[in-house]
Amino acid sequence: MSNKTREPMKPLDAEEFRKQRRLMVTWGVTLLVLFPLLIGLGLFMRLNQGELVHLQPNTFYAIMTLHGLGMAGLLFSFALGGLHFLVGTRFARTSVKVGYFVFIGVVVGVIGLVVATLIGGFAAGWYLLYPLPFKGTSWPEWSSGLTFISLLILGVVWLVGCVHIVRALSLEYGGFFQLMGWRYLGNKEPEEELPPIALISVVSLVPGILAFLAGAVFLIMFLFQLFEPSLEFNPLMMKNILFFFGHTLVNITIYCAVGWVYTLFPEFTGRAWKLTKVTVIAWNATFLFILFAYFHHLYMDFAQPISIQYAGQLASYMSAVPATAVTIFGVIAQLYHSKIKWGVIPLSFFLGAVGWAIGGIAAVVDSTIAVNKVLHNTLWVPAHFHTYMLMGVVLFILGFLYYLTAPQSGKEGGPKAGWAFWTFVTGSYGFLLMFYLGGMNSIPRRFAEYSTMGISSSHEIGALLARLAVFFVVLVLLGIITMGISIFIRLMRWVVTDATSTESSA
Amino acid sequence: MIAAMTTQVYAALVTIVVVYFILLGAIFLMRAAMVGTEDKYAAKGKVYKVRGFYFWGLCVVLTVGLFWTLRFLPYEEFQQKPGEIVTVVGMQWAWKMGIGSTDVKPKDFTGANQITLPVDTPITFQVTSEDVNHNFSIYNDRGVLLAQTQAMPGYRNDLQYRFREKGDYPILCLEYCGAPHTIMTGKIHVE
Repeated sequence: MSNKTREPMKPLDAEEFRKQRRLMVTWGVTLLVLFPLLIGLGLFMRLNQGELVHLQPNTFYAIMTLHGLGMAGLLFSFALGGLHFLVGTRFARTSVKVGYFVFIGVVVGVIGLVVATLIGGFAAGWYLLYPLPFKGTSWPEWSSGLTFISLLILGVVWLVGCVHIVRALSLEYGGFFQLMGWRYLGNKEPEEELPPIALISVVSLVPGILAFLAGAVFLIMFLFQLFEPSLEFNPLMMKNILFFFGHTLVNITIYCAVGWVYTLFPEFTGRAWKLTKVTVIAWNATFLFILFAYFHHLYMDFAQPISIQYAGQLASYMSAVPATAVTIFGVIAQLYHSKIKWGVIPLSFFLGAVGWAIGGIAAVVDSTIAVNKVLHNTLWVPAHFHTYMLMGVVLFILGFLYYLTAPQSGKEGGPKAGWAFWTFVTGSYGFLLMFYLGGMNSIPRRFAEYSTMGISSSHEIGALLARLAVFFVVLVLLGIITMGISIFIRLMRWVVTDATSTESSA
Repeated sequence: MIAAMTTQVYAALVTIVVVYFILLGAIFLMRAAMVGTEDKYAAKGKVYKVRGFYFWGLCVVLTVGLFWTLRFLPYEEFQQKPGEIVTVVGMQWAWKMGIGSTDVKPKDFTGANQITLPVDTPITFQVTSEDVNHNFSIYNDRGVLLAQTQAMPGYRNDLQYRFREKGDYPILCLEYCGAPHTIMTGKIHVE
């Protein structure tokens, strides 16, 4: 252990900390309000598929569009907000003004999307697969335009938010290669340590920056086409750009959240979690896999060059190596014989890692081309990404919010996990299981109803699984609303407590 | 019995087995984390030793998995000489199918949403779309998805499938293509 511990960032003064904290609380309250509402939209979808309510198809797909865009956007925005706070209060100064700029942009974008979908009836699905938004639509042009502009606003403010955090870290720790931890790759130990969150932020946010640039390009192309309908773009190229944007956005959300797990988990286990040559290599590899993993969305486009299809399966398979051998084993090394107390904070982080691993195996199975040919666009796909998001990202977020607001932390583990937490976890796994069973039974995704399929067994199974899922979604809502109220009260208390130094965040 | 198992069942079995071990490991770890009889370096050393085995084991599994599964790809390079060719055009919201290849523009192609094809013959479906993206998916009458490919405007995807049993095979669209997406169905009679 010859490493010099780096001089920490000059602590924020009380006023600076209060400002960062207010911004963080603003993000927290926004999440607590919007998340259950967006789950409510998902509940309506499952109610309709279970034939317990009857929605017009366009209403169903408008709800589906808002649910998808809303969830992907909200969870990424919160993950970015969380990084902004954690990095800004401990590692490198981030600007509160930029933070509010991002927040206001997200609010404007979300309002635009709500109006476009629920009032305008825009229903092209969350990834607006070109040229769908322009052909055979049942909604007015203005709602398409409003959707593109709202998404463009979101993309631009996310871009600003990502660039800002990367810039703040680079001012503190050096340029891109320094932040990628290349100093660890030599034979000698580096003279100065790099905090894991700096590396993980860059590995997540730099692909994010590239993805948002790509997103801005395709949205501007969409706007061109809206004003000049005779334009035609290559659909395969558009699909590649689109999935580079969409897949990367969702993929880096979990990596951003993993950044704060690396930072906060050691406080509960009493063991430092430092970068080593192995972790640096693993995260550098992850950087590449994030860029290329989206290829697996195009396996069923046989016109895509076959070398890219091979690369897609290779990148998807290989991404399991750093994720499990380094991060999951990192969690194991943190925990094994650590005498931890299982309060809700470490429990959320730990179960989040378990959910990540379960979603990961489901993803690896589906990223196998030979399997994808019978699982693609079935319910297996939402099964795997809902596992990542609900039992990965959301648990990490809950752990983070409890951490911020828990009166004691450290070895105490924070408050005990109560019935609301376990109701949420049980409901979530029950809800996910219905998706997995649906995928295994070839039930298609994005079907408003199953009665039109012309296959009676699929109709019966699909509707039955949807009805069972409704029960589990109600449990999820019960758990999350109860925890949400408790976290809201904690946030309100936290925001008015004395803030004399950065340490107050614990 | 084994031969009748679908790819979906194999996929689910692999997932169930791995998830079972993940959950078992998680429960063991949650218990093992509550005691602290060893110093942290000894504990970490034990974990890293296991990690070494895991790393090499995973590399072997993934490499074998890659080489094994990459033999069963649906692409043209892996297809046989077709016994029959079928042109398929997706449109909002119906399928047009007809025997033989065609040079006609997708919009001008006339076909039906039902077609009769021979059993046990490699059939190549030349699939495209005249408007937005669709997904040409062949199910059996028990609701099992057998094969699929995207129908993309401006591109032709060649999907090959050999029907082993006589009967009716429903066709669905598996790419969301607008509000009436779920009614975009067709049928293949195999005899």
